[in-house]
Amino acid sequence: MAHDAHKEQDSSMLKIAMNLAITCFIAGAIIAGTYSFTEPAAVNQRVKLKNDAMKELVKDADSFQAIQGKADWYKAVKDGKVIAYVVPAESKGYGGAIKMLAAVTPDAKTIDYKVLSHNETPGLGDGMSKPKFRNQFGGKVADELVVVKTPTDNNIQALTGATITSRAVTKGIKEAVEAVSEYTANLKE
Amino acid sequence: MNYWAIFKKGLFEQNPIFRLALSLCPALAVTSNVFSALGMGMAVMFVITTNNVVVSIVRRWVNQKVRVPVFITIIATIVTLTQLVLEAFVPVLYKELGIYLALIVVFAIILARAEVFAMKNGVVPSFFDGLGMGAGFALAMLAVGTVREVFGTGAFLGMQVLPVSYDGPLILILAPGAFMVIGLMIGMFNVIGEYQNKQAEEKRKLAQLTMQRGEA
Repeated sequence: MAHDAHKEQDSSMLKIAMNLAITCFIAGAIIAGTYSFTEPAAVNQRVKLKNDAMKELVKDADSFQAIQGKADWYKAVKDGKVIAYVVPAESKGYGGAIKMLAAVTPDAKTIDYKVLSHNETPGLGDGMSKPKFRNQFGGKVADELVVVKTPTDNNIQALTGATITSRAVTKGIKEAVEAVSEYTANLKE
Repeated sequence: MNYWAIFKKGLFEQNPIFRLALSLCPALAVTSNVFSALGMGMAVMFVITTNNVVVSIVRRWVNQKVRVPVFITIIATIVTLTQLVLEAFVPVLYKELGIYLALIVVFAIILARAEVFAMKNGVVPSFFDGLGMGAGFALAMLAVGTVREVFGTGAFLGMQVLPVSYDGPLILILAPGAFMVIGLMIGMFNVIGEYQNKQAEEKRKLAQLTMQRGEA
């Protein structure tokens, strides 16, 4: 085997350094090559995921157009009319940031939301993505977005064992609704 | 040693998770549902097999003194490629595995196979060694993931298999549940292993006995 020919000068500092340098160079070249090949596909996937997420929130929309001057804000258009705004919402939950996408009607009522990323407790906090909790938000205005612990029609009932998460989601959505209502108020002026 | 024997030893005899108790971190972290457990298992199987092949090809040019950094660089390269490909073509799995995908680089089992096997063997045996070890790992992940998802949520791969009224113990989905499931499974494997050893022992004794009788 090759190691039989393992001579003294094989382990000189220069040889060792060369060995490592060549390995890293080849590794870098391979990664760079793959990256240039996969990156366009990855970008496509990200755009597609985003569009799918928005489509899921506002099912009737024909198309989504980015709103200028507002980062990551989109308006959902149907027959030339704006039927909803899709805006990013963020809040601090039990395990860190909860990132969401909120769909809000032009008259500032919640339609639905989608959780994009979170670190909440599996089985407790992640109930925020389930329809049972989410459906409570539909049609509510900002003032109604308050978490209570008893069954309710006008407010949001907290998830069992995940009050902090429930409050965080509600706060994030409420801020998004308020931001949209401010934006549409400015539009009318 | 034939290739089947090399492949097979990773499945049971030297199963990375249940027998060697290596790489338990992903076994705890991403087995709360079958989809991510199996995805992780496949990713590791790919990385360990590719790494074994690459290491056995380049071993004659690798300086003994820096072999570990060189191996780690090779593993890191393969893992990065896996990450790039998954991100581009299976973004759902990529998101689900999150940080644990990048952590494959430091899995003890992968470096161990490079050191123990691929460094000393040719390309083909190394390939089967990696494949076997990876398959053993993937099967273990699948087993833990199945128990946790089925009994924790009543679903398998997201499809309801137990009655909807079944309200599984939440702890199975959480990290402590993973410890319990893996602990019980390791215990089970040990019992089976002991039984097999005993049987082999008896067989040997019997063979000895017949031989003695033959002599007499």
